[in-house]
Amino acid sequence: MNSPRFVVPHTLSRKLITATISGAVILGVTTAISPDRAWANLLLLSYFLITLGLGGALFIALTNVCGASWHVAFRRVPEAMTGLLPIAGILLLATLAIRLPQYGWHHHGHGGPGTFWFKELWLSPKFFAIRAVTFVLLWVVLARILVGSSRRQDAHAGKPIHAGVSVLFLGIFAITISLAGVDWIMALEPLWFSTMWGVYQFSGLILATLAAMIIGCICLRRMGPLEGIFTDEHLHDLGKLLIGFSCFWMYIWFSQYMLIWYSNIPEETSYFIPRLHGPWAPIVAGSLVLNWIIPFFVLLPRPSKRSESIMLRACVVVLIGRWVDLYMMIFPPVIGTMPTFGLPEVASMVIPCGLASWLFFRSFARAAPVPAGDPDLVASLHYHA
Amino acid sequence: MSDRVLLATFEHEDDLLAATEAVRRKGWRILDAFTPYAVHGLDRAMGLKPSRLTWVCFICGMTGALGMLWFEHWTASITWPIDVGGKPWNSLPSDVPVAFEAAVLLAGFGSVFALFGVSRLWPGKKPKVVYPRVTDDRFVLVIDEADAAFDVPSAERFLQEFNVVETAEHTSEEGHYS
Repeated sequence: MNSPRFVVPHTLSRKLITATISGAVILGVTTAISPDRAWANLLLLSYFLITLGLGGALFIALTNVCGASWHVAFRRVPEAMTGLLPIAGILLLATLAIRLPQYGWHHHGHGGPGTFWFKELWLSPKFFAIRAVTFVLLWVVLARILVGSSRRQDAHAGKPIHAGVSVLFLGIFAITISLAGVDWIMALEPLWFSTMWGVYQFSGLILATLAAMIIGCICLRRMGPLEGIFTDEHLHDLGKLLIGFSCFWMYIWFSQYMLIWYSNIPEETSYFIPRLHGPWAPIVAGSLVLNWIIPFFVLLPRPSKRSESIMLRACVVVLIGRWVDLYMMIFPPVIGTMPTFGLPEVASMVIPCGLASWLFFRSFARAAPVPAGDPDLVASLHYHA
Repeated sequence: MSDRVLLATFEHEDDLLAATEAVRRKGWRILDAFTPYAVHGLDRAMGLKPSRLTWVCFICGMTGALGMLWFEHWTASITWPIDVGGKPWNSLPSDVPVAFEAAVLLAGFGSVFALFGVSRLWPGKKPKVVYPRVTDDRFVLVIDEADAAFDVPSAERFLQEFNVVETAEHTSEEGHYS
């Protein structure tokens, strides 16, 4: 009953590796010229990659907990996305380690402005590092267990998946993604804080994950292994999730903005003033267009959610939007008053594409393309949206 | 136009879907299909046009959003400007939440009432159930006996292929089924 394994075409692998390596070389050269800029790009791309991997695990856990069956036909796609986690984790930890001495507010010293004992303790380099390693290890291990229980079904057909680990994962995910976002990105501006930050990180993560998953499914359908298995009905439902979470992202973005705008307290507005006044403003506007306005109006009609080419384009727009969104979070505090866009930024766009695709296809090729032992597979194959 | 209709009753949704598809291909007029729950793909099998309800929803939502934005602007910065926290009178961010709520409200109510209107559902309307078991476990297809050439016995034989469990002829009242 097992279908043949997917084999990654050599030319494709070679292209993806070449793209990744050329991006890495550009970033390496940038490190010598402008270390700040290179580091900002490194943080952007490693955070982008790790959240894609984490999103794959989130999708599996969420559907397991719901007892969903509609996604089973293409479940190996989010499973393959978790294959990004180990490498992205190493990349991210290395990135953080480079800047650990300066990270966060603690270089202001004891008793500096805007500090109190808990914040000093929280952002002390040792505790910061321990947390980062713990988060990444938890994600990698839990994702392995989640994927492992699905792979075991291939040998022992008909055994349903236990939801226990998925429940545990969801709880841990909710806490760790909020803290990780605060530690790694919000702490770039240590005197600023926002209680919306955790959910804002989640909204960007899930939106980019869905976009990447749809692109993965469409590519694998075109290449063969999911042909006749990933149907337009699945595409339609993923499209509904995509437009829904696009609105969710906008809702959260605006909720954070409006509360700060309304109360107008200097220590809170310090995040938005450089971003909404002056040279960064058009880029913020661009991120709203890419993440919400375009996906919303393009995906609103039913036929466009069932059209492969429209969905593919919308997903590319969303992923570019995710990059711009992260750029707007990370770059202003790291590189200063003027936005930059050049070869290093192109490299930090190309590396996630190349590396993520390469890891994804490699991971997808390691197991049967369809979980043939899952009792819900038939229901998923005959699914109607 | 004949006022006689043929009711074909099925036990399974797959039979109903296949029969509906085949009857439509044969060129017979399908007046309606009654099922205990929403059967996916039945609209396509019956050859129905895509629903226009989505447009009603979109237009109502847009009316809600834009209308409310205009209204808030008019009240807060034209007719009775109020200084709130030193912010400009025409502050767009403060208008967004209400505009959003109005969009959702109008889109929701618009769609539901448009649906009720189109399906002629209103309080006090007497239900006309063509076959009592469609509310439980049977699926009924209503075919128009279009003209004298419509041969009931041969139609029944044709429907046997789709495991029809019962056929009956009814006299339709004007506008009942269509």
